[in-house]
Order: sequence, then structure tokens, then C-alpha cells
Amino acid sequence: MGAAATYFRHLREAVVSIFDGMAVSASHLIRRPYTIQYPDRMPVRVQDTLPFRYRGILDVDLEICTGCLACDRACPIDCIAIAIEKNAATREIVISQFDIDLAKCMYCGLCSEPCPTGAIHHTTEFEGADFSLESLIRRFIAEPVVAYKAKKGAEPDVAVADLLTRGMTYVDEWAQPGSDKPAAVAAAPQAAVAPVVPVPGPGK
Amino acid sequence: MSMLRTEEMTLNMGPQHPSTHGVLRFVIRTDGEVMREAIPDVGYLHRSIEKIAEKVGYHGFMPYTDRVDYVCAMFTNQAWGMACEKLAGVEVPRRGEYCRVIAAEFNRIASHLLTVGLMGMDIGAMTPFVHALREREMINDLIEELCGARLTFNYMRIGGVAWDLPPGWRDKALAYLDHLEPIVNEFNALFSYNKICIERLAKVAAIGPADAIDYNLVGPNLRAAGVNWDVRRDLPYSVYPEFDFEIPLGSGEWGAIGDAMDRYMMRIRELTQSARILRQALTQIPDGPVLAKVVRNFKPAAGECQVRVESARGDQGWYVVSDGTSYPWRVHVRTGSFAAMGMIQKLSRGLMIADLVVLIASLDVIAPEIDR
Amino acid sequence: MEAWLNRLMMRGVFGAHPIPVLVYASGIAIACALVLFAIALPFASIVTWVERRVWARIQSRIGPNRVGPNGFLQWLADGLKHICKEDIIPAEADPRLFKLAPYLVVLAFILPWAVMPFSSSLILADLNVGILYMTAVTALTVVGVLMAGWASNNKWSLIGGVRSAAQVVSYEIPAGLSIFPVVLMTGTLSMQGITRAQGWSPDRWFLFASPFCFAAAIILFVASLAENNRTPFDLPEAESELVAGFATEYSSMRYLFFFMAEWGNMFVSAAIIVTLYLGGWRFPHVSPSPIAMNLLEFATFNIKVLIIVFVSMWIRGTLPRVRIDQMMSLCWKYFVPIAFVNLIGTAVWVAIWPAGNPFAAWSMLAVGVLLAAFFVRRVVHFARRSRMELYFHPTI
Repeated sequence: MGAAATYFRHLREAVVSIFDGMAVSASHLIRRPYTIQYPDRMPVRVQDTLPFRYRGILDVDLEICTGCLACDRACPIDCIAIAIEKNAATREIVISQFDIDLAKCMYCGLCSEPCPTGAIHHTTEFEGADFSLESLIRRFIAEPVVAYKAKKGAEPDVAVADLLTRGMTYVDEWAQPGSDKPAAVAAAPQAAVAPVVPVPGPGK
Repeated sequence: MSMLRTEEMTLNMGPQHPSTHGVLRFVIRTDGEVMREAIPDVGYLHRSIEKIAEKVGYHGFMPYTDRVDYVCAMFTNQAWGMACEKLAGVEVPRRGEYCRVIAAEFNRIASHLLTVGLMGMDIGAMTPFVHALREREMINDLIEELCGARLTFNYMRIGGVAWDLPPGWRDKALAYLDHLEPIVNEFNALFSYNKICIERLAKVAAIGPADAIDYNLVGPNLRAAGVNWDVRRDLPYSVYPEFDFEIPLGSGEWGAIGDAMDRYMMRIRELTQSARILRQALTQIPDGPVLAKVVRNFKPAAGECQVRVESARGDQGWYVVSDGTSYPWRVHVRTGSFAAMGMIQKLSRGLMIADLVVLIASLDVIAPEIDR
Repeated sequence: MEAWLNRLMMRGVFGAHPIPVLVYASGIAIACALVLFAIALPFASIVTWVERRVWARIQSRIGPNRVGPNGFLQWLADGLKHICKEDIIPAEADPRLFKLAPYLVVLAFILPWAVMPFSSSLILADLNVGILYMTAVTALTVVGVLMAGWASNNKWSLIGGVRSAAQVVSYEIPAGLSIFPVVLMTGTLSMQGITRAQGWSPDRWFLFASPFCFAAAIILFVASLAENNRTPFDLPEAESELVAGFATEYSSMRYLFFFMAEWGNMFVSAAIIVTLYLGGWRFPHVSPSPIAMNLLEFATFNIKVLIIVFVSMWIRGTLPRVRIDQMMSLCWKYFVPIAFVNLIGTAVWVAIWPAGNPFAAWSMLAVGVLLAAFFVRRVVHFARRSRMELYFHPTI
């Protein structure tokens, strides 16, 4: 009796569970597929859909770089190489080299965190494949440039105003140690329903 | 049967094999389909992460902790942050702790989804794997918006987290949690309660409570064996005491206590518990700063400390010795996967080759965590 | 071509010498082989495309959609790619057997097409032992697979080959036993004879002739999955355990042959089930023109076969793989006894109702429709329960 009951229980369980499983997989035949047809069959470039905080390939806006070397010091793998000279006469800092070795970079974001102006920042670009290691070293400086210096109290230079606004938005995105900035979530209440489009970062 | 002359066969499973979850190697001695023994051979993914810590300093080591266990990197982040804070006596703001817990629990869901999906793939069903990864992808999208990366997060800092929750993120996260529960039910109907799945997993490689403790199993593997131990509750850290959640335990309802099915269902149940913690955390999260003031040149006083977090793969211990300079003198990580690997040789005796795959998947060993 | 050769023969072109006769015979053979290939290959290839699309949709993916309309020509691209690849024969392998094995597998897949009853006239050879021939030649696959596993000189391949042998030989028995009920009822082994014994309407299909036939049809279907190494019985090539099983060392076109045969065999087994239990090509007599009727019958047959093939793909997208001891116990403890019961039950049934029992047929049909309705309800339930409208990505 026991053996026969087990025998038929196994049969019944198999039939019932497979029946349910088949119903689940059949229900997926009538749902929309989840595939994103990267890269060509997309309504927008995938880079434009990425969140503002996305840590893609590093970029440097030399116009607002202060030459403070904070990024160089923060980088745990030394993939940033900066050479600066102090012009004793004009008391200006001259940057003569600013290289980032993207082959080494691990996209951790530690360099852009201490940057005072947001000059070094992550972009949403991520397609970094190249044919040689040499071409992965981004050299941002062709000839030495004078570092940006914030003028105290004065309006920022018109030429770099836009860059500076963008840079400061980037800097503001980072948590400021100890500052009791109003929480972003509380400041910008969103609709309760899940938005289909991700909320773009303030910098876009 | 003893009349038949049989010959033992040595099989090399890995380091390149579809179901070894990374670069693992097993030397299997088999008699036909039945294994005499499977001897794990680890070390193919050793990257000297503990040594690197002695060279890059406290702040700079944070991205490396992502690589210790890249499937649930939030926990290693959190553990490293906690260790440094304990050494230097830094107080983390409450909102920062909440952000940590939210990120970590989302990561736990992602990690468990990957585990249950891989279990599906390892016993030959591709669909559960793709469905689980589809759900994990949504979490990745959420975490990407939170911290800018999908796998190696580097979200936490000594003294808090690097970014506050972005605007509107909380609603999306809550919407995802509403979405998760029916998906888990559907996943169960598709795969977990399937007769073939139960037959494959039940009574395979059962680990009793005594064995589990002897072999140092941690996390879901330990709880599946019926041992009621969870660091989140028993050695509370962060803000976990403020949440109300259950610790699921293996009951042996599919055969033996602590069998592969118990270990598998443990992950499924923890999905709902993590969702429960997340709901509470997302509604209770206080306002305030998320990052304490910590100097750039972080130099904790000489001393040592040990912290434990409950990662997706169990009790993860970090032992840090500081000599007062800006570089740690010694860092050691104690991971659950390494202990679980030690058990495979004992459990594998008498199993079939197909069961070894189930055993590896049910113990949820992840190659980078074994070797560091 | 045969007629042309026959005419040449009549004119005495070949004379009475043995060599011209051999030439004649091989000419016929080549012609038949070409026809078989021409019919069988597109079917097998189209099945690959259907399978990949269906499988993808079950997994919330899209599947191949770039080559040709909706990716329809993907099979052509894959075939070309495989032909262009290097054909690697491992140094330690037995080169002769290694090369021969894929051809044996393809042979086992091409031969059944000779008795495939596409319509009332579209059949290459209506053998009086058609169904016996069909089971005999499909079993040849195992020889090729075992040979491939052995000749590769790779332990994973060997395990795969031996698993395949054990599996196919075991499942031949329930499959054979599930064919006999139909033979009992019709008294013929000819494919056309069996088809003609059924009607076009479902109540006159053998599937609903008796509960035993219904069970036999299901056993035949599951056993055919096992014989074709399909999920949940894909142990010989279990990719998570045995890398790729018997095909581990194969590459290029030889690798493709194995999979072409696998997909082609799906079609063949489905054709057996359709012929035996689902009324074959039977279609109501709506047109006096034999050409129109044949086309309709051809379409009916193919649609039925494709539905069965679709079910087997759908099962592949749902179920995990069984373990080898479970596969054996499933065969010997469940399928073989039930198949015997079916055989005896059918014999008794035929003795009681030699002309069939319409009441039983109609009530079984009703039960089937009810089950299908319940199934559709479950599908809708699952589709509604998990909220797939919730996406976090704008570009889906």
C-alpha cells in the first residue's frame, strides 16, 4: 500500500508541477521580451540613458583644473600622471603633463571625489576598446597650460563659467563629509508610480 | 556485481569548466558515474588582495574590497569601512548606516538571485537562469543609479557612504520590491517546486548541524543545516537591530535536513526577508549627513580589530592590524566560500558527477571569495 | 530520374553486364539520397530557427532576428559559419571513427524520411513495415553518438557516449511498446495504412481511441524526447556536467551534423507521433483535385508535426535535466510497466469494441478541452501576477 501510494504520489506531483511550470513558461511567450538591442536598434544611445553618477571613462576639463594633485594622490593604482611647475614670477601653476592610463584605471571614482572643481570626472562613455595599450593612455595636454585659480569673491571667468557650473554639479553629487545637506530624496519627491524613464541627474 | 572488473577514472573538472563558477579545479576519481572522491584545488584566482591592502592605504583599499567577492561587493565594502571605523573610532551618521544597509540588502537579493539562477543552469534548465538574471539586472540598474557602477560598486567610504540616495530613487526601489514578490512565486512555480528539481536537489549532500559547525560553514549553508546563527541578529552591527526580520532555517522538508534543496530554498526565503528589511529601511530612513568627517590621510592608532558582517555568502570576518601609519600592517579576510570548499571532498564521496555540480551550486561558492 | 534511367535500361544502353547495372543502381541511390537531403535539411534547419526563437521568448529574450526577415535565415548563416571553420581532429583521437561518427548520425536522421507520410501520395516509399523501419533506423543514432564519444579519446566524451547508449537503448522499449497499441488496432505496420485507419476529426484519432492510447501517446512522446537527447533527457551532452558530452572534441561542420541530426530527429519523432496518434495527414475531402488535396494534407501534416515540435521546445525551455539513475528508474519503473498495461488494455479494448467506442472518444476529447482551458487560465494567471509592465529602463 505504502509503496503504491508513493508511486502514484510521485506521478501526480510530477504531472502537476510540470503543468504549472509549463504554464509559467507559456505565459512568457505572451509577454514582452526584456532584451535591449544594443548598440544599433535603440531609440536613444545607451550612454544617454545612464545615470549621472555613472562611472565611465575619465575625462578632464583642463580649463578648470587647479593643478592641486588631489586626484593623483587619491588614485590607488597611480594611473594618473601629472607634472606641474610653479612659475615663481607670476605665482601661477603650470601643468605640463596630465596623462590617464585607462588600461590601468579601475573606475573606482576615488580621483574625482576630492577634486575641488570637478575638473576630473567620470563620463557616461564606456566603450573603451582599442587596438593597442599605447592608445589607451589619454594625454590631455599638448603644451603646458596655466592652472585655473578661483578668484576670491569675484565672478568666475565667463569663458569657463559653463564648465565650472557642470563641475560643481558633479562635486555636489558627492556626499559632503559631515554636512547636513537636505536629503535629496526628501527635497525632490517623485511620483509614486515607478517612472519608466530614469530620473536624469541634475547635470543633464 | 563484484565480478565486473571496474577501473577508476580520474577526471579533471576545471579550471575551465562550465559549472565551476569561476576558475576552480576538481580532481575527481570516479567509478563510472559514481564519484569516489572530488578533491578541490583552489588558488587559480588568487590576486593577493590582502597584500595589496598593505600597499594602497586605508582609503585606497576600498575599491579592492569589491574584488574580494564581486557578486556581493557591498558587504566587503561595508566590512572594510566598519573595520577602519572601529580602528579609528569614527561614528557613522545614521543616514549613512541606513544607506549602507539598503545597498547591502539590495546586493544580497542580487547575489541570491544569481545563486538560484545558477542552480537552475547547473541542473540543465536555462530559463530560470535567464529569468533570475533579468531580475538581477533591475537591481543592477538601481545600484548603478545609486553609485555609478554595476558590479564593483566602491559605494562606501570610511565613515559612511560616498553618495546619498538620488532623487526619486526610494520610490523606484519600493516599486521594485513590490515587483519582486510575485516574481519569486513565479520562479518557484517554474523551477523550485518542479518535481525534477526537487528530485535532483533533495537528499543530495546533506550536511547535519554538527558537521556544519565542525567544518565552519557560515551563512545560508549553516542555517540550512538547522543552526540558528545570523550575524545580523546575534552580533548586531550597523542599524540591523532596528529592523524586524526572520532568519529562515532549514527544515529538511524535502528529505534530509541540510540537503541541497534546503540550501537552495534558504536563498529563496532570504529574498523575501531581505525585501522585508529593505521596506522598513526605505520607509524609516532618517534625514541627515551620510558621511562622517574623516581625514584624507587616514592614520588609525596602532592596534587591531576584527569585524564580522553577514554577507550573502555568510559570516565574513575582516581582521585588520594597524601600526599607526597610513598603511595597514596586515589585513586578513575570512570568507565563507573557502570553508565550504573544505567540505566538498568529504561530501563528494558516493555522489554522482551530476550531483557534484549541484553540490557546488548549492554551497554557493564563488571563486574570487575562495582565493582573494 | 528513375524513369529516365529506366528508359535507358529499356533501350539496352547498359546491356546485361554487371557494371552498368551497378551504375544504374547507384544512380537511383544517389537520386534518392539527393531528394531525401533536399527534403530533410530545410526541415531540420527551419526547426533550429523556430527553436531558438521560441526558447528566447520563454526566457524574455528576442532571439536571432538579424539575418533575413525575423532572423529566418539564421540557420543558413550558422551553417556557412560552421563550414568555414577549421575542422579539428585531436591528435590522440581515432581519426577514422572520429570522422565517420557524424555521418552515421546524419544517416540515422535522413533514412526515416523515406517513409514519411506527408500526404496521401507524397511518400517516397510506403513500406509495408514502415513504422518498424522508422524505429529501426532512428536507433542508428546511438551508434554514431557512441562512436563519437569513444573515438574522441576524451573522458567527458566517453561518459557522454555511454550515457547516450544507455539512454537510447532503454527508451527504445517504452517507445516500441507504445507503438504496438496502434498496430494492434489497425493490424498494419504501413505508415499510410495507419493514417488511413484514422479520420480527420479528433474523435477519430487514435489519441482519443481509448485511455490506454492516450497514455501510450504521452509515453511515446517522452520516450522520443529521451531518444533524441532532448531536455529533460539531454544527459549525453549535459553542458553543465560534461562540457558538451560526446560532441566535446568536435568542431566545424562535423559538430553541426550532430545538432542538425538532433533537430531533424525532433521532426522525425514528432512525425511518428502525428502519424500514429494524431491522424497524420487526414483532411476532410473538400476538393476533387488531387493536387489541391495533397497540398492541404501536406499542410495539415506539417502543422501537426510543428505543434508537437513546439511542445518539445517548450519543454526544453521549462524543465531541468534528470540525473542518470533517475532517468533509468523513470524508464524501467514508470514507463515500461505503464506501457505494458497500455498494450494489454488496448488488446482488451479492441476485443470488446472492435470498431472503437465513440462515447469514450468524445468524453476524452471533452476532458482534453477542459484541461486545455484550465491551462490557459493558469497561463493568464501567471502573466497577470508578476508585473512585467514595470521596467526601469527606457529603451526596452
